[in-house]
Amino acid sequence: MSYSTVRLCSGGGGYEAIPEPKLKLDLVAIRGRLEAEKIPVIDARVMLIVALEREVTISRDGRVLIKSRDPAEARRLFDDLQRRLHLGSG
Amino acid sequence: MRGVMLMSGGIDSPVALYLMLRQGHEMIAVHMDNRPFTDESPMGKVTDHIQLLRERFQQKIPLYVLPHGPTQITLMRSTDRHVGCVLCRRFMWRSAERIAEREGAQVLVTGEALGQVASQTLSNMRSATSAVGLPIVRPLIGYDKHEIEELARSIGTYGISIRPGLCCQAVPDRPATRSSLVQIQAEETALDVNQIVDDVIRHAQVL
Repeated sequence: MSYSTVRLCSGGGGYEAIPEPKLKLDLVAIRGRLEAEKIPVIDARVMLIVALEREVTISRDGRVLIKSRDPAEARRLFDDLQRRLHLGSG
Repeated sequence: MRGVMLMSGGIDSPVALYLMLRQGHEMIAVHMDNRPFTDESPMGKVTDHIQLLRERFQQKIPLYVLPHGPTQITLMRSTDRHVGCVLCRRFMWRSAERIAEREGAQVLVTGEALGQVASQTLSNMRSATSAVGLPIVRPLIGYDKHEIEELARSIGTYGISIRPGLCCQAVPDRPATRSSLVQIQAEETALDVNQIVDDVIRHAQVL
């Protein structure tokens, strides 16, 4: 399993990272980890909205959307999130 | 006639508003602010659409901005995701109807055309609009996408509509294309519908 790309989303307003194959993330656990780091999270049950430098949406199936129009910033924020949460590491 | 127009920032709604204004109707615009399930771009597009049409028709066109993100969160937490788009639309209609009551408007207006997106099937439109009692006018119902885009280009709203923006993140992977009103009403029994709409209206901003 890997996140191979961070690509422009269809509306062009952000970048999304899509795992292949899809994941089944434990959003409750992820929320707990983020809040332990004092990162504000909105829990919408099937997705989390996370207030990093930019807003990031984490879906249960592993998709991550970064609300930035700068590809380098989006990549950096995704890499940071992946490191914090061990996304896609089994 | 006085109407309340739902404005999304997309290509269709400013064209529908233009057609209503051209016929001489007095219009009030409503934008459901879907953040955090989108970004700030729809709001920027709507304010630019309204400004352009205000100048063109020399009409005030009040723009109500209503918070819709908290409603989406409630829907995602408490209802079946599959019918989320229909439930979402029902709350948009209810909110627009409240504004119509406040403004003394007789009709609700939308840029919907048949079959463009999942929520715009006939059964979904019926399920969505049964939430309100005012008549609904759809000036674009018989237009195809190409015709709407041509009109948008000719009136100057197209360039605003196609600026980059986030798609709605609350749309489920497989939204229902056929919904039964019985199921929709059953889903809403888990919600305090009036309280949700009251909260939306309480936080309305007029631009």
